[in-house]
Order: sequence, then structure tokens, then C-alpha cells
Amino acid sequence: MVKALKALAPDHLPTPKQEEWKYTNLARVLPEALLRQKPETVREVVIHRSRGQNGGQVEDVLWTGFEGAHQQPVLRVTVEEGADLTLIERHVGQGAYWKNMVTDIAVGKNARVHHIRLQEDSPEAVQTNLVKVTVAQDAAYDCFSLNLGGKLTRHEIHAVIEGQGADCRLNGLNLLAGVQHGDTTILIEHLAPHCTSYQFYRSILDDTARGVFQGKVHVHQAAQKTDAYQLSNALLLSPMAEMDTKPELEIYADDVKCSHGATTGPLDEEPLFYLRSRGLSAAEARRLLVQAFVDEVLEKIPDEDTREEARGKADAWLTMRLR
Amino acid sequence: MIKITNLHARVSSDEGPREILRGLNLEIQPGKVHAIMGPNGSGKSTLSYVLAGREGYEVTEGSVTMDGKDLLDLEPEERAAAGVFLAFQYPVEIPGVNMSTFLKTSLNAIRKQRGKPEMDALALLKLMKAKCKELGISEEMMKRAVNAGFSGGEKKRNEILQMALLEPKFCILDETDSGLDIDALKVVADGVNRLRSPERSFLIITHYQRLLDYIKPDIVHVLAHGQIVRTGGPELALELEEQGYKDFIEAVA
Ligand SMILES: Nc1ncnc2c1ncn2[C@@H]1O[C@H](COP(=O)(O)OP(=O)(O)OP(=O)(O)O)[C@@H](O)[C@H]1O
Ligand SMILES: [Mg+2]
Repeated sequence: MVKALKALAPDHLPTPKQEEWKYTNLARVLPEALLRQKPETVREVVIHRSRGQNGGQVEDVLWTGFEGAHQQPVLRVTVEEGADLTLIERHVGQGAYWKNMVTDIAVGKNARVHHIRLQEDSPEAVQTNLVKVTVAQDAAYDCFSLNLGGKLTRHEIHAVIEGQGADCRLNGLNLLAGVQHGDTTILIEHLAPHCTSYQFYRSILDDTARGVFQGKVHVHQAAQKTDAYQLSNALLLSPMAEMDTKPELEIYADDVKCSHGATTGPLDEEPLFYLRSRGLSAAEARRLLVQAFVDEVLEKIPDEDTREEARGKADAWLTMRLR
Repeated sequence: MIKITNLHARVSSDEGPREILRGLNLEIQPGKVHAIMGPNGSGKSTLSYVLAGREGYEVTEGSVTMDGKDLLDLEPEERAAAGVFLAFQYPVEIPGVNMSTFLKTSLNAIRKQRGKPEMDALALLKLMKAKCKELGISEEMMKRAVNAGFSGGEKKRNEILQMALLEPKFCILDETDSGLDIDALKVVADGVNRLRSPERSFLIITHYQRLLDYIKPDIVHVLAHGQIVRTGGPELALELEEQGYKDFIEAVA
């Protein structure tokens, strides 16, 4: 059984001295007042799908942050054998608050969960979200996270692949500007053989925004025939923007296929010139290339309506940034 | 008419700027096909990039005009609208942008600059289908990303497809024949020949006489060390095929 997760304790904040918090300095961004504030459990949402409930149900959960609040919301999801679920999480809010959240998702045998996070927290907000996912035999979990909001956000996923033949896909798009800081930290543990995991994250960073991607795949000795893939691409729209990427593979099984890749930089000059030589203005060419960069990861959202919704939000952001 | 006068250009490299074109002169009358041949590294692609306006290729002296209008002053997209088209030696792959979006955006961007109304989706689709058929390009390719995973031959055909759609006035083909099998070479040559008209000029960069069997040039030039070192009729290409560039390299060096 999964141990209950606990939100970060305000009196024991992690510091950049700890390896997994090297790039994210929580204490520097969290306002003093919020730290002193006693945490309130705003809401605990429990979602349960019983065995065989696979009618394509959608759960749409809204988490709202309020000025001055230190919230510790909890989301618990259990999807039993053969059931399925589409879970949409929306994060919004106003003013400065700290959403210090834990999420616990158990995907049962042969069950399917599509998880979509649309994170649009307020520009002053801090969100730390620790997600633990367990994936059982022949089950599939996929998550897409659109990170647009927050002054500082950390989305930490700890996925444990427990049963044979399971599949875990983590995708995301970070669109950050101003002084925003967005951290995605992933640990995937392969415990069982014949499983696949896939991570694909893209970030666009403008102004002095900073992105962090830390992805670790840990393949235990029993997890033969693991197929694990990881890719992070960051596009810097400003010379002051920064991306820190740390891919890690820890492999104890000998018959596995693991690969990872990462790129960071401005738009390539070659395709820009190619498009301009075909009549597109510099601005049109840039827009088309950035759009393509975004579309390739948005495609990973399985649910069409949500995909279009996410695309709309991304478009609005791009229109603002690429004027 | 295209007029290139005493063109000097340099590229910025890691070891600082390097002069590649060293006083190049060339005039192409409307309706004419000129071929440029020359050893590797002589500056043929550099010339094509300078004409198309690529960043990093700096003109330090000389001029290029098209119908009396200064080309060097224009942005790459303005040159495209004015009628310059470069078929790239190495067409660029653009993942995530599909062919039909690309062609539509390109064609309409050029029409807009030329003061023409946008073409609607249906008319464009018809036009695209017709051109694809002419060039032996499968319509299925229009759903793929621009040049991504295209074979060498498919990339080159795709360049000619774009050229046919954009109706340029001055077409520069940079080694469009290299990497083509014999059938594809004929298809590409037919595509070019179909575009020949009294108003349209061509500059064809090639290493092989074979292409010139299919696209008959009016004039052949030899480019070496950043200059046109010899100009002649189609027979010059045959001569080069037999004797190579040895004479020219030594003559200048
Ligand atoms: N961006 C660049 N940076 C550094 N050197 C360059 C650059 N572009 C061209 N050059 C150099 O300029 C010279 C001319 O190159 P160019 O590509 O124009 O030759 P080419 O005649 O087209 O050769 P090929 O027949 O092999 O295509 C070469 O020595 C090349 O290395
Ligand atoms: Mg060349």
C-alpha cells in the first residue's frame, strides 16, 4: 500500500544545499508572512473508480488560491482494476498564496488514467505539488502539465511502476516569463519487467524566467526489458532566460533500452532563414516555428477538448510574448 | 534583368570574417538560363545565400540589382516577394510545421506583399494537387512536416514545388540535381523547363553536365576563388566535364 504523503513542512523548508532542490530556492521566494501562517487544509478531494468502471468518466477539479493563504490541498485518486478516468485539474487564484499540495494516484491493474493539469496560478503565487503515482500491471498513466502561472512552482512527480506491462507517460509544456520560476522534478522507478516510461517536456522562457527540469529514471534489477525515454527541449526567447536540466539514469537491469536528450537555446537561424526566403516576415517565421515547438508537445494530450483548450491558452501566451 | 557588379562578400566564421566572393560580375537577361560550375568551396552557395539575403553573409563591396532595383537593401522576405527564389543545396527540415500549412503561409505572405488577395483554402488545395502531380510528389507528403524525414530526392523535388507555386522572377538552383536518380532528374528538369518564360531568369549551380542536357543553358560560367573566371556557351560545360577545373585553379592561384 502507498504510504500517505505529507506536504512540505514550513518550518523545515528544503534548501538548495539539498541535491534535489539545487535549482529551486523556496525560502527566497516564499513571503515571510505566508511561512508564519498556519497551514489550512482547504480541501481534500477523493476520487474513486470501482473495478471495471470504464465509461470514459471525466473529473474536473478546480483549486483556487486566495491572497494570504497557506493551503495544503490533498487529492487522492484510486482507479481500480480495469477502470478508467480522465482527470482535469485547474489551478487558479488571486494574490500571494502558497499552495502546498500533495497528490496520490493509484492506478490499478489494467486501468487507465489520463491526467491533465492546467496550472494558471496567480503571478505572486507559490505552488509546491508532490505527486505520487503507482502504476499496476498492464495499467497506463499519462499526465500532461501546462504550466503558465505562479511566481514559483515545483511539480514533483514520483511514479512507481509496480506491475509488468505498465506504461507511464509524463509530458508538459512550461510557458514562463517575467521572473517566473518553474521546476519539474521527476523520479520514475521501474520495479517490474516489460514496462515503458516516456517523458517529454518543452519550455519556452522569456525575460528572466527560469526553468528547471530534473528527470531521473531508476531501473531496478527486476525490471528487465524496460523501455524508458526522456526528452527536454527549452527555447529561450531572451538572453536573460535560463534553463537548468539534469537528466539521470540509474540502471541495475542489464536488458533495457533507456535514452535521454536535452536541448536549450534560442530559435535556430537556419529554419528562420528558410521561411523568410519563402516570403514570411521575421515575426511570422518566428511565430510559426514557436507554434510548431508548442504543438508537438500539445499533441500528447489525449482528450481532444482539453487539448484544444490548452492550445488556446498557449496561443494567447504566444501572441502576448511574440508581438 | 539581374546585374551583379564587383561583388565582394565575406562570412563570419569562428576565426573571424573570411572573404569568399572577390569581385564577382554577372548579368542575366530576362528569359535566360545561366549555369555556374566551379570547384567545391569556390563560393557558389555563398553567392546564392548573398542573393537571397542570409544573415552572416556580409557584402563589403559591389552591388546587386534586379530590374534596376537594389536587392541588397531588402530583407530576405522582401526579396522573395520581389521574385527571388533560392532552391537550397540543403533544404532545411522544419519539424512540427506541416507542408500544406507551410505552403499556404508562404504563398499568401508573398501574395500579400505583392498586393494580391489571399488565396482561399480550396483554390490553394487545387493548385497544390496540380503541382504535386506534375512533379511526381505524392499528396500524402503534404501532411508531413516540411522536409522532415524526406529522402534527398524528395527534398529537391519539394524545392521545385515551392518554386512552381511562388512564381518567382529569378530562380537560383543550388545543386538541385545532386542526389537525384535519373528519373527524378528528368522530373526536376521538366519542372524547371515548364517554368521557363521570357520574363524569368535562372541561375543554375551544378557540378554535372548531365543536368544541362535536360535544362539547356544559354550561358555557362566558371566560378573559382570567388570570381567568374570564364564564361562561354553550353560547350564550356562539356569541356569542364572532360578536363576538370585544374586550369582555372592554377590560373588564379
Ligand atoms: N558560414 C560559414 N562559416 C565559415 N566558412 C564558410 C561559411 N560559409 C561558407 N564558408 C566557406 O566559404 C567557402 C565557400 O563555400 P561555399 O559553400 O560557397 O562553396 P561552394 O562553391 O558552394 O562549394 P560546394 O561545391 O562544395 O557546394 C568554403 O571554403 C566554406 O568553407
Ligand atoms: Mg555549395
